[in-house]
Amino acid sequence: MHPNETTINDYVDGTLDAGEREAAERHLDACAACRRLADDLGAVRRAAAALGPRMPPADGWLRIERAIRAERNAVTRRATTKVPYWLAAATLLLATVVGLRFAPFARQAAPPAPPVPTAIAAGDAGQSVETEMRQAADHYEKAIKGLEQIAGDERSALDPATAATLQNNLAVIDLAIGESRTALHTEPDNEPAQQSLIENFKMKINLLQDTVALISEMRRGNDAGAARVVSGLKQQR
Amino acid sequence: MSTGTTDRDLAARCQAGDAEAFETLYRQHAARLYSLACRMSGSTEDGEDLLQEIFLQAYRKLGSFKGDATLGTWLYRLALNHCLDYVRSRQAKMDKRTDALDRNGACEPVARRETPNARLDLERAIERLPPGCREAFVLHDVEGFGHKEIASMLSIAEGTSKSQVFKARLKLRALL
Repeated sequence: MHPNETTINDYVDGTLDAGEREAAERHLDACAACRRLADDLGAVRRAAAALGPRMPPADGWLRIERAIRAERNAVTRRATTKVPYWLAAATLLLATVVGLRFAPFARQAAPPAPPVPTAIAAGDAGQSVETEMRQAADHYEKAIKGLEQIAGDERSALDPATAATLQNNLAVIDLAIGESRTALHTEPDNEPAQQSLIENFKMKINLLQDTVALISEMRRGNDAGAARVVSGLKQQR
Repeated sequence: MSTGTTDRDLAARCQAGDAEAFETLYRQHAARLYSLACRMSGSTEDGEDLLQEIFLQAYRKLGSFKGDATLGTWLYRLALNHCLDYVRSRQAKMDKRTDALDRNGACEPVARRETPNARLDLERAIERLPPGCREAFVLHDVEGFGHKEIASMLSIAEGTSKSQVFKARLKLRALL
């Protein structure tokens, strides 16, 4: 009787126990058809085990690099899309703070909350990261300009030493903003430079907001309030 | 420097967005993973797509590489799991097609045993094996897994794995 397929297979794989193997070999010695089958299956097994690696297509790496870059850009785009929401919230807060603190100075208008650019808010997929960054930068700059206007007009309320310190800090932040811009000009997709630019914008807005708050407290003659603002400024440095 | 440290360093550089490091990773391991992907999927085109997906997944998951195994082993497991997912997702459709292929004798040898370029012929013949049969054969005879492991990977009985490998060997037999 011929051995079944499992036995032949196990014989080829060398997984039969000693007794079974001996019985199978006795049969194979006497049966040319089974011997040929076992030899052929063994040859297939050895050929498969000897198969070497297949070389990927020449453009394999390029495809993967493109896919990774696209994914990174998509992540950046999602992150950038969030900026106007944050900015809208920050500007609202700023408008409220400035409005409250400058209540006695009705002639000072708080900077209007810049509208959220609909293209970015809608997350327009077709828009390039570069364009979105430019829009975000424009947005921050408008908010900064409004704050600078207020801080500049009321700067005389500050003592010269404090005004100089604030001016120096603003100059350092401006320098960092300039560096981020230069990096982005050369490489618009540079993620660290994009993040750095946004962070520096935030820092500048915070500093200007504190400057306005400080001016307000000094105008009111609230030394304790002014001291709190100055203390906060020192902690930020 | 140990391999573990080198691997962790390479993984960290890849995660940090170092394109050169990721290309090094690709050059070191792409051929092995591409072979696995082509043979498991039974198609060069699908193998190319799978290779891209595997490296994209590796890019996303490199943070989970702790250096317990070599980076090559980690990548291979990731690739194997991805190929198995691919195979499973095709399973329902493929069941019907397998029957048709078997009935139509679509797995006739693509070359005779005296063909000089036997290796390429074997690759082509593996691609033409019926799904199910092909995966078990590739995992057992090419990749060297045991039937127990294969049964677990493919969610089949151990006996089915043996039977599939036998069936595949029979179909390929005429080539050699």
